[in-house]
Amino acid sequence: MSGLYEFFAEPFAYPWFAKALLSGCIVALVCSVVGCLVILRRMAFLGDALSHAMIAGVGAGYLFTKVVFGYRAHAPSMLIGALLAAVLTVMLINFVSRSSRIKEDASIGIMYCFIFAAGLVLVTRFQDLIHIHIQHFLVGDVLSVADDDLKLVAYVAAAVLTCIVVFFRHFQIAAFDPVMAASLGFNVGLLDYLFTLCVSLVVVSAISMVGVILVVGLLITPAATAYLLTDRLNRMMALAGFFGVSSVIGGLYLGVALNSSGGGSIMVFCSLQFLLVLAVAPRYGLLAGWLRRRGRVPQDQVEDLLRAVLKSGTVQQPEQLAQQTNQPLHRVQRTLKAMRKDGLLEETGGAHALTPAGLTQAKRVMRAHRLWETYLQRVGTPDAEIDARAHSLEHIYEEEAIDYLDHKLGHPLTDPHGSEIPADFVHLESGLPVMLSLLRNEQRARVVSLREPSAGIELKVGETVVMAGRGEEGKVWSIRREDGRVLQLPHEQADRVIVQVLTGEAAPIKG
Amino acid sequence: MDTDALKERRDPPAAELEPKPPSPAIEVEHLTVSYGPKPALLDASVSIARGHLVGIIGPNGAGKSTFIKAVLGFIPVDFGIVRVLGIPASEARGKVAYVPQRGSVDWDFPITVKDVVLMGRYGKLPFWRDPGREDWKAVREALETVRMAEFIDRQIGQLSGGQQQRVFMARALAQAGEVLLLDEPFAGVDAATESALLDVLRRAREQGRTLVVVHHDLATAGEYFDRLLLLKQRVVAYGTPEQVLREDLLSEVYEGTLKIFRSLQPKETGA
Repeated sequence: MSGLYEFFAEPFAYPWFAKALLSGCIVALVCSVVGCLVILRRMAFLGDALSHAMIAGVGAGYLFTKVVFGYRAHAPSMLIGALLAAVLTVMLINFVSRSSRIKEDASIGIMYCFIFAAGLVLVTRFQDLIHIHIQHFLVGDVLSVADDDLKLVAYVAAAVLTCIVVFFRHFQIAAFDPVMAASLGFNVGLLDYLFTLCVSLVVVSAISMVGVILVVGLLITPAATAYLLTDRLNRMMALAGFFGVSSVIGGLYLGVALNSSGGGSIMVFCSLQFLLVLAVAPRYGLLAGWLRRRGRVPQDQVEDLLRAVLKSGTVQQPEQLAQQTNQPLHRVQRTLKAMRKDGLLEETGGAHALTPAGLTQAKRVMRAHRLWETYLQRVGTPDAEIDARAHSLEHIYEEEAIDYLDHKLGHPLTDPHGSEIPADFVHLESGLPVMLSLLRNEQRARVVSLREPSAGIELKVGETVVMAGRGEEGKVWSIRREDGRVLQLPHEQADRVIVQVLTGEAAPIKG
Repeated sequence: MDTDALKERRDPPAAELEPKPPSPAIEVEHLTVSYGPKPALLDASVSIARGHLVGIIGPNGAGKSTFIKAVLGFIPVDFGIVRVLGIPASEARGKVAYVPQRGSVDWDFPITVKDVVLMGRYGKLPFWRDPGREDWKAVREALETVRMAEFIDRQIGQLSGGQQQRVFMARALAQAGEVLLLDEPFAGVDAATESALLDVLRRAREQGRTLVVVHHDLATAGEYFDRLLLLKQRVVAYGTPEQVLREDLLSEVYEGTLKIFRSLQPKETGA
């Protein structure tokens, strides 16, 4: 135990360690909180751009104070310079993406590289005047935080956090629904600028610690980690802050243990933390997703069972079903359980019966299956293949697709095996107008209209007819009229007669 | 006619003291909005009286969403005046509630049903105050009205399409706006949800609200709405469904893409 204590306590013997820890935690906290809005607004790339632009701003700020006031400047000039660089970058990006066909991401790339490169030229040209180490700027130096830096970081953090907390609702609604925000009277444009300002401030305060290259990681990785764990923005911000702080603490100790770069160690720790959460997060994690997929019952198994139950009456034992569908019993039982949960089946004493919803669904699948079989036979599929192919096609049971098949096939009554194709229960509801061709035997209906061209159709609007059957291999419709006479109609004409079903003989089932 | 001349036609404040017929819910005069050389709306004028359930129909790119955004005061207008309940749109903050198009919402946003509905109260809530008991009461009532109370703590991405629409409808109700604008609420929901949603809209109308709904399906437009606004950059027609759903008007606007409407009521099977 004492070894462990020493491991954690020893680094405090160095004066820089406590300072690095303190400033690091403050920076990481505020970075992560702001980062939540950055990732929700998909501004990660802009954050990266702003951090790169800083070098020009900081260089220019140092140069300005050196040349004009003659002394080596520190925190304030760096801050102001950095903000000006950020504003300039955002303006240039907007200018390019709005005034040309260049899209926003490309404009960001162009402009931030430009400002960054200009900064590099500036800093190297006036090296003797402004004393910025490019190396320091790129990867940061968490171990050499000056008191001035610490103070600056604390002020910036306090200001930004206050802003986020006070205007939380403003930022939330502007990120979620800017149109509504504007209609409620929030100034969305101003909020955007305020937010960009916040991002710039936290980025510039984080650069001295982790450097330009890694700062975007500190901005978005803890926020993304938190995003995987919660469904509320305020909790996400709190969690992100926690992950930011834990990254700094863990990373600094990691750096001490490995005697490696502080900034690098922080980001490695932060990223590992993210990967761990990505793996095990309860709802949005990879493991949870895998378990969910594994527990899900495939749709085709459900459809098989629906058809099996429908085909052989209503009541079925799991063992029978397993035998009929050629599936192992344990799988059938799992599928049955899922179907009960979805309200397709109800169980009484171990036997299963279809619920009304289940019956509709079963009919839908059965109708689709048998229409597809008929279709396959019609297009010349070898008999041996029909069953298997229909099996893979039956999941296409969208209404319009089935209507198309039914019409194209001439509204067949039976499939190639001679089994009855369930009637078109979607349209054949009593009271709704349908085409005469959809009627099944002995259904009564009243003619409501005739569609053009109706020449040659003897029927009159208002009269009642009864479907008397089909002739000539189902291609001719026989209609019994009120006076007992039977009328023969070919498919085309039967389609032009619009009728209303009079009785509920078609067992009206709502789709 | 220039903008100043239009502004002068606004009633002087003194007139508001005397009883007079209530100003229309939405009044649009000579509205032109553009995003480039092609106007999204051109010289559109319409006056929508209070208490109607209005459908906006028109082909893609006819300016339906633009019309809504102009009424919300979200986009700058090139010319013309938009008044909501007699007040210029830019000043009518919070009086107009809005239900966005489903596609424009980030459904992964870390926000729960109740927080979305609470947004309806943001307009009346000073930024330093937390939502109080009354706000939460309004949230609960709105959710009960759309029958979504049991999902109050769900993240919005974990709802079905119709449930998501109802949540945003609840937000509009919680806002207690007198005018509700809905951008394609019926897109991508099943028939049962559609009729449940329509029920909510009709009840809101019964409470005296004015609802303006962007609608895509001509086949149901006449049945759902008591007024229709046919847009194609211009206001081609505004009136009762009988006045608007005329073949000459529709074929002018849809340029022969009008197959659905010409067919009979029953769904045609096949080609």
